[in-house]
Amino acid sequence: MHSEESASLECEPEHGCITCGDEAVELRVVKLDEDRGLALCENVEGARQTVETALVLPVSTGDRLLVHAGTAIARLQEEAA
Amino acid sequence: MKYVDEYRDPELGRALSAEILSLVEPGRHYKLMEVCGGHTHSIYKFGIDDLLPENVELVHGPGCPVCVIPMGRVDDGIALAHEPGVIFTCFGDMLRIPGSDGSLLEAKAEGADIRMVYSPLDALRIAKQNPDNEVVFFAIGFETTAPSTALTLKRAKAEGVTNFSCMCSHVTIVPPLRALLDSPDMRLDGFIGPGHVSTVVGARPFEFIPADYGKPIVVAGFEPLDVLQSIRMILQQLAEGRCEVENQYKRVVHYDGNPAALKALSEVFELRPHFEWRGLGFISQSALRISDAYADLDAEIRFTVPGVRVADPKACQCGEVLKGVIKPWECKVFGTACTPERPIGTCMVSPEGACAAYYNYGRFARERELV
Repeated sequence: MHSEESASLECEPEHGCITCGDEAVELRVVKLDEDRGLALCENVEGARQTVETALVLPVSTGDRLLVHAGTAIARLQEEAA
Repeated sequence: MKYVDEYRDPELGRALSAEILSLVEPGRHYKLMEVCGGHTHSIYKFGIDDLLPENVELVHGPGCPVCVIPMGRVDDGIALAHEPGVIFTCFGDMLRIPGSDGSLLEAKAEGADIRMVYSPLDALRIAKQNPDNEVVFFAIGFETTAPSTALTLKRAKAEGVTNFSCMCSHVTIVPPLRALLDSPDMRLDGFIGPGHVSTVVGARPFEFIPADYGKPIVVAGFEPLDVLQSIRMILQQLAEGRCEVENQYKRVVHYDGNPAALKALSEVFELRPHFEWRGLGFISQSALRISDAYADLDAEIRFTVPGVRVADPKACQCGEVLKGVIKPWECKVFGTACTPERPIGTCMVSPEGACAAYYNYGRFARERELV
């Protein structure tokens, strides 16, 4: 369930490289594969990728995750600036 | 767009800019370092430095993981990529980093099987799909990225994937910051702390900055208002004579970080006794190697890696840029011999590199800085 979806998330240098440095992208959980500790997530434009969820458990469908290099590093809280 | 627009509100930005102006003492020069490349990128992309008083100067720190990889390490990667039967995987930014004899992209053009991935998980998937090949993942990045590699190595072990290994070049943020603070040519008033590194390690590891060096640090988010608010918080501390660790990015960063990530890191990695940083030289305990428990997944053990040390090109002043001693455009080759298309130094390669950020967003601003 992985390659086609992640291929749609292109690296866009003008926005910073999503896979390195201190960049992270916000994605929403669409579907969970709890046995494998993975989640199918999508960005605001609907591009999907598989995300490692071990660091932010428990995760539910609809959660907003901060994802860096294919791994969710934080669950975003509903909080204003 | 929800969760974005509220951090880019121009009215709030102007209000913060006015507050910043009210906090600075006329005649005093403030030098603040944004530690991480993501902040450098935000500052130029959104023109944040134009919203600051002239006596508040932002200095770019060493926080672009691609920019600090020394040439010898790139050469090691290229050597591995040329090993028969190896599929070499890495993040896109690494492809164009110049080694002493070309880049990974050029090695790919010469026939090496080098593939760009978006995560270590992608590299593991390639290993599963190509059981007759050895798949090597070139792991780079600070503590933000290291957990992703750690989890992938754990997964490879758990799933019994034997044709996967990792060349670990992960680095840690605290030792280079300490090295910068110890450097005699540096005079900094405060730090904009790395937001996403802190998501993993927390804000606590930065307590040495106020405790040992008497400087404030504010862990910051990456939207324009995050950065402006962090600058305001640093200036507020300076105005009140305080120095402490503050967390502007509370919506993401917990003071003690992410315990699960820290546990994964301690299981899979150990500190290297020392590691060479481009422009900064050898810094002790500043990088990670794969622990003995995962040694069978360490590409540097599985293969013969040359490990040759290569001096940086003489014309390149990336080291001084990384230390914040000179501005990118003050480098002798900036924008002439060194451009994003044909980079000499690493700071011009990654979009998060200070030179590339300057070059791409036209932030020459020489008039202002020459005044």
